[in-house]
Amino acid sequence: MNDLLLMCTIAGRNAAIPALRVQTVLEIDSITPIPGTPDFICGLTPLRSQALTVVDCALALGFDEPCSSPDRRAAVVEIDGHLYALLVDSAQDVSQAESDLVAIPGGLGDGWQRAGLGMVETENGPVVLVDIEKIIAGPPALAA
Amino acid sequence: MDELLAEFIAETREMLEQSGTELVAWEADPSDRARIDTIFRFVHTVKGNCGFFDFPLLEKLSHAAEDALAECRAGRREADPALVTAVLAIIDRIGNLADLIEAGEELVEDQNDAALIAALEADAAIEVQSDVTPVAPAADEEDGAAPVAAKRNAVQRSIRLPVDLLDEVMKGVSDMVLARNDLARRLREAGEQPTIDGPFERLSAILADVRTSITRMRMQRLEHLFTSLPRLVRDLSSELGKQVMVDFEGGEVELDREMIEMIRDPLTHIIRNAIDHGVETPAERLKKGKREIGLLRFAARQSGNQISLIITDDGGGIDTGRLSQKAVAAGIYSQAEIDSMSQAQKHQLIFEPGLSTADEVSAVSGRGVGMDVVRANLERVGGSITVSSKPGEGTSFHLHLPLTLSIIATLTVSSGGQNYAIPRNYIEEIVFGSANSVEFAQAGARRLITFRGRRVPCLSLADVLGTEDNERCEWETKTLVLVRLASDDVFALAVDRVHDHEDVVVKPIAPAIMQTKLYAGTTLLDDGTPMMLIDLPSIAQMRGLVGEMRSKPALVEETSDKQVKTAVPLMLFAGLDGRRRAVRLELVRRIDTVSSEAFDIDGTRAQAVINGRILPLAGLEHGSLPEGRCRLLRLSDGESEVVYAVSEVLDAAEMTGDLVVSGDDPTIEGVTLIEGKPVPLIDGHTLFFHYATPRPIAHPLTCRIPRDNDWARTILEPLVEAAGYRIAAEGDDEADLAIHMAGDVVDAGQARETIRLRPDPEDAGDGSIYRYDREGLLAELKRVRTGRAA
Repeated sequence: MNDLLLMCTIAGRNAAIPALRVQTVLEIDSITPIPGTPDFICGLTPLRSQALTVVDCALALGFDEPCSSPDRRAAVVEIDGHLYALLVDSAQDVSQAESDLVAIPGGLGDGWQRAGLGMVETENGPVVLVDIEKIIAGPPALAA
Repeated sequence: MDELLAEFIAETREMLEQSGTELVAWEADPSDRARIDTIFRFVHTVKGNCGFFDFPLLEKLSHAAEDALAECRAGRREADPALVTAVLAIIDRIGNLADLIEAGEELVEDQNDAALIAALEADAAIEVQSDVTPVAPAADEEDGAAPVAAKRNAVQRSIRLPVDLLDEVMKGVSDMVLARNDLARRLREAGEQPTIDGPFERLSAILADVRTSITRMRMQRLEHLFTSLPRLVRDLSSELGKQVMVDFEGGEVELDREMIEMIRDPLTHIIRNAIDHGVETPAERLKKGKREIGLLRFAARQSGNQISLIITDDGGGIDTGRLSQKAVAAGIYSQAEIDSMSQAQKHQLIFEPGLSTADEVSAVSGRGVGMDVVRANLERVGGSITVSSKPGEGTSFHLHLPLTLSIIATLTVSSGGQNYAIPRNYIEEIVFGSANSVEFAQAGARRLITFRGRRVPCLSLADVLGTEDNERCEWETKTLVLVRLASDDVFALAVDRVHDHEDVVVKPIAPAIMQTKLYAGTTLLDDGTPMMLIDLPSIAQMRGLVGEMRSKPALVEETSDKQVKTAVPLMLFAGLDGRRRAVRLELVRRIDTVSSEAFDIDGTRAQAVINGRILPLAGLEHGSLPEGRCRLLRLSDGESEVVYAVSEVLDAAEMTGDLVVSGDDPTIEGVTLIEGKPVPLIDGHTLFFHYATPRPIAHPLTCRIPRDNDWARTILEPLVEAAGYRIAAEGDDEADLAIHMAGDVVDAGQARETIRLRPDPEDAGDGSIYRYDREGLLAELKRVRTGRAA
C-alpha cells in the first residue's frame, strides 16, 4: 500500500487522511455558526462560490475538547456531492504510506476505534488512518 | 414539434458521423458482418424515425437500403463493392436530406433518388453504379449544393452539450460574481477612481448578462415533458377501459431542467388519478350527456418568476361527500370540523395523507401513495398545489412552480446576531411586536398572539434554533413575521429584525445539517458569507403547528369572514348633522374639498360646481352647509355623478353584520352594525333616482347670444359658459337656448328656449330678466338646463 496520506494531528494524536480524497487544505478565517446542529458541526465557511460544512474532527470522534490550532487548518473533502472542511489541530505534509493498513491488537481506544480504519506506518512513525465518512457522521451518540 | 425535429436531425447527424468510419472500413472489406450490422442499424433507425415525421422520401431511401442490407445479413446476398457504393450513395443522400429538412426546405423526390434505389438491386448494380453515383453528387453541386451548403452553415444553430459542462460554467460564473463583489468592495474602500470605475462598471454589466444567459441555458421547454404524456395517457386509459384525449397549451414555457425532472413524478401521479378517478367510462359519459372521449388539458403559463401549470379533466369531479366520510372514518377530522368546512376546503382534503376516493385499489392508483406525497414533493421544490372541482364537470389541479430550483425569493431576518433567509412565498404579513394591534398571551407553554382578531401560535426563531430561551425573550421588542403555510396553517415567527428582500441562489446543505430539520439550504451573500435558509414547513411540523385542531377552526371563521368582508366595503362618514352614515365604497369616485362659493342652492335644487362641472348636491337634508370649505363625496352610478356633502370623512369599513332593512326611510338601504354601532347605509338607488343627470360636460347645451353686442360678449358670455353652456358658433343651426336683448330684432336661428334680457331693472312684465340680475339669470339658465336634463 503506497497511498498518499495527509498527515495531521487530531485531538493531539498523529492521524492521516487519505490524500486522494482531499481537494485542498485551507485556513479557515470565518465560520458562520448554524444553530441547532450538533456540536461537531462548527458551521459553514465559504470557499469561492461554495459553502463548506466545517466539521471539527476531534468532536466528531467523540472527544470533549474541540480542535485547537491558531491557524485553523482544514482538509476539504467531498462526500455525496457535499463539500466538508475537516478541521484538525494541524495539517502537515503529504507523505507516503510505508505499510499496509493493520489492525492493532486491543483496538485503537475510544473514539479512534470507530472512525479509525487502522494503523499505517509512515516515515514519521505509525499513524491512525481515519475514515472520513465516519467522521462526517459524527460521534456515536448522534450517529445512533 | 420543432424541437423533436431538431432532435431527429441532430441524432441523424450524430449517427452519420459515427458511421463514417464504419463505412470506410466496410468499403475495404464488403463482407465484414460487424460493419454491415452497424450500418443496418443506422438506416433502420432513420427509417423508424422517418415514419414518425412523415418524410416519405427519406423513408423510401432508408427502407431500400435496409432491405438490401437485410438480405446480406440473412446470407441471401453477397455484399459486393457495387452494393457498398449504392448504400454509401444513399447514406450521403440521407445526410443531404437532413440538411434540407433543417433548412426548412421541401423534400422533392428527384430521379436520382429512384436511381439510387435501383442501384441497390443486385443485377442492376453495375450499370447504375457507373452513371448514378458520379452524376448525383455532380448534379447537386452544380445547381443545388452551394446555396444549400450556405444555408446549412446559417442554420447550424444548435449543438449538444453535456449538462455537467453547463453546471460547471454556471459555477464559474457564480465565482466570478463573488470575485466581482469582492473587488467592488475594495474599490469602494479605495475611494473614487474614475479610470478604474468605468471599466469595472462595464465588467459588472457584462457579467450580469452572462449570468442571465447561463441561467437560460439551463432552461428547457415544457414541451419536453409534454411529449411523454400522450403515451402515458394512452396506456393508462386503455388499461382502465377509458378513452382520454390530451390537449396541451403553453409548451413553449421554459423551466429549469431540474425542475422539469422534479415535477415529472407528481404530474404522472395527477394524470393517473385523473384517469382512474376523474374521467368516467365511455358508457357513463354517454349517459351523462358528455362526449364519449374524456379530455385532459394541460395549460402552462409563466407569470413573473413563477410557472403555473393547470391540469384539468372533464370527469366526474371530486366526491366531497365520500371524501369527508373517509376523513372522518380515518380520524383525521371530526364530523363537526367537516361540517364547518367550505366546499373548497373539502376539496383540499384529497391532499390529506391516507385518503383516497377510490373504494378499490386499482392497479393504477390508490396504492397508498397519495396526493399528499405529490404535494410534499412539490412543496419541497418551492411549489404549491391546489385543487378545484365541480361535481359532474371535472377537476383542476393548479400547480405553481418557481422558475428554477435554485433561485428563491426570500426575506432576510436576523436572530441572535445572525442573518437568515425565509422563503417569501410563505410570508403573509410583518408586524412589530410593539404595535398596539398585537397582543401576546400564553397558553401553557405556548405563546400566542392576537392580531386582527385572530389568535395564532407564535414561535421565536431564537428559541426554535436554540440560541435563546423563550423565558428570556422580550416579545415586545421582536418583529413578527406571519407565516401562512401551503396547508393554510398560520403562525407567527418572532425575529429580532427584518432586513430586506433578496433573491438568493440556494445551495444544498450537508445531510448532518439537514437532520436538524431547521434549514432548507444555504446561500452565499454578496460578500461571500453563508446564510441559512429556514425551512418553515418543517419547523411548523416539528412544533406541531400543522394540521392542528387549534388552527383549523380559527381558519374556517376567518375565511367565512373574508367572504362577507370582501362583499361589501363601505365608506364611513359623518353627515352634515354629525351623524355617522355609510355609503357603498364602490359608489365613491373621489373625495373633493370645495369652498362654499362652489355651491348653488336654490329652493329644493342644490348644485355644486366642481372643476367646471355642475353636479347635483345631496346630503343637505341632514343640515346646512358649513362656512368656508366643505367636504364632498363624489358618487357615481357609472353615468351620472352626484356630490354628497358631509362634515367629515371617517374611514373605510367593511360590512360584516346583517343589513337591517328599514321600510320607513327610502333614502337608506338599511342599518348595519359597524364596530358595534348602528350605521345607516345610504341607498344609492334612491339617491341617483332623485339626482341623476346626464353628465353635463359631455353634452353641454348650446346657447346663442347676440354676436354684435359688446355687453353680451364680454359680460354675458362668461356667465353663460360658467353655468355649463357652450356658446353656439356662427354655423350652428339649432341652439338649446337663445338669449336676446330686449328690443333687438329676433335672430333667425332656431332655439328651443329663449331668455330675454332687458336693460332696465324695472319689470317690464314681458317675462324678460334685468341684465344684471345675476341670480335670476343663473336660475333661468339652470331651469333651462335641468329642464332639458329632465
